[in-house]
Amino acid sequence: MTFQSSIAPQAGTEYGLRVESASFGYGDAVVLQDIELAVREGEFLSLLGPSGSGKTTLLRLLAGMAKVTSGRIVCRGKAVEGPGIDRGMVFQDYSLFPWMTLRENILLAIDRVNPKRSRLEKQELAEEYLGLVGLADAREKYPFELSGGMQQRGAIARALALGSSFLLMDEPFGALDPLTRMKLQDLLIDIWGHSDPPRTVVFVTHDVDEALYLGDRVVILGASPGRIIAEYEVDFPRPRSRAGFFKAAGFRELRDRVLEVFRQDAIKQLEYGDEVKSAGEGI
Amino acid sequence: MTTKTEAIGNKVRIGAWWNRAALRFSRDHKENKGWGIFSGKEGFLFAVILLILWQIIAVVSHQKLRFLFPSLPVVAGALWVSLPELLRGTWSSFLILVPGYLAAVAVGVAAGIVTATTGWLGRAFMPFARVVAPVPPTIYIPYAIALIATFRGASIVVVFIGAFWPVFLNTAAGAAAVPAQYRDDARILGLSRFDTLRKVVLPASLPQSFSGMAVGLALSFIMLTVAELFGANAGLGRFVQYYADYADYPRMVAGIVYTGLITFLSMAILERIRKRALFWVR
Repeated sequence: MTFQSSIAPQAGTEYGLRVESASFGYGDAVVLQDIELAVREGEFLSLLGPSGSGKTTLLRLLAGMAKVTSGRIVCRGKAVEGPGIDRGMVFQDYSLFPWMTLRENILLAIDRVNPKRSRLEKQELAEEYLGLVGLADAREKYPFELSGGMQQRGAIARALALGSSFLLMDEPFGALDPLTRMKLQDLLIDIWGHSDPPRTVVFVTHDVDEALYLGDRVVILGASPGRIIAEYEVDFPRPRSRAGFFKAAGFRELRDRVLEVFRQDAIKQLEYGDEVKSAGEGI
Repeated sequence: MTTKTEAIGNKVRIGAWWNRAALRFSRDHKENKGWGIFSGKEGFLFAVILLILWQIIAVVSHQKLRFLFPSLPVVAGALWVSLPELLRGTWSSFLILVPGYLAAVAVGVAAGIVTATTGWLGRAFMPFARVVAPVPPTIYIPYAIALIATFRGASIVVVFIGAFWPVFLNTAAGAAAVPAQYRDDARILGLSRFDTLRKVVLPASLPQSFSGMAVGLALSFIMLTVAELFGANAGLGRFVQYYADYADYPRMVAGIVYTGLITFLSMAILERIRKRALFWVR
């Protein structure tokens, strides 16, 4: 498989990734119930939900890392049976291999996608991807020599090096300090905006501001069982300036609406939680 | 001839090394008080007291026990005189130890990784391993000598058996417990099974492998010396056995001290390799 063929969308497919009445659970425990979701080709979709809403599980289903108990996942018209390099994933925990330098980590992805290229070409490609996330100078460093933010940049570079059309990101900036987090958000948007052909991003977070600032669309999951409870278009032009965006009246209104949805779900959780507690479960 | 300053220099170096080791110990145990001027030097003190005690026993028992406890200068002399023979013995022993141990490490690591990551193989082999691994490996020595024509071949097999199980079991445990994060990464990257084992599972289980290798190396020395007691015509175990048979206790004790030193050095080398290979472990 070449870099190009994995990127180019098939003609006539409107939606890149579809979740069709998918459920997931272990035994009697239902984690996700009847999820219907269509991720458009080229869009930046934020998946927002409290802990326990199964947002990570949903992302793993999209990646093919877990299998639905009913329903199905479709990627460009084909049912997802397992992981594929058309769907790259970035995890919350720094996921570079600690025994390899940054460059060796990236080369792992490059070897996979361009096995026939010469050693030198692969090295150059690796450096290109590291340059893209501003890590060109750190290429010979090991992950433990890097800050959390740099490690996460490396993880993004590796996902890019896979040449995936779909980037599935599981709270990738969850463990970073606020300033680093903002820098990486802007970097991600910049890379996504300049992708040619366009990439599709599914971004899982529990941070409302992050979901709205990054996303074209925000899908909100409720907990117990995980299900989609609301969906909003984020109709703000790009490039979005951080200062302008967070001050805009439209943003504040949207934010209030999202938080209200959250609150409603949380209240339901608390009431439901009391019942559970009396049975001695879920503590 | 050693000049006085050189001798002092050596003493200081050895003393400094010993103190560092003691300091590491006290750091680990958060206990730095209670010994006054000897604080932090307890380990050194203990060694000195031990040597003094040995010397006293040697001198006092000299007449009655006929050199069963040779004094320190006598042991040192015996060590010096036997050094060529001991070095030849070391060579002969290492021709058994090194092939047996290295083969055990190679096969143990490879088999551990493959067994732990292959469902049916694990289910088939692990119950057997759990039964056989705890059997004291020394018990195989007579049979190995009976089965294999040459003493060296039999001893290599016996060292292999001794070192194999700890390496295998530890590696298998490590490979079975590779963090989910690394396994997920390998799947997302679409690595082939071979690449996953070589580039992800092997390094990720290396910390445990090295624990197994350390236990395996200690066991290798036990297997080696015991095998040599049985029927070698050279080697470290043979040296000790030979001079014990002739009641030459100074040489025998020298042989024990020397073998201890060689074992310690081998373990130190392995520790060095471990530190190097596991530079990324935090």
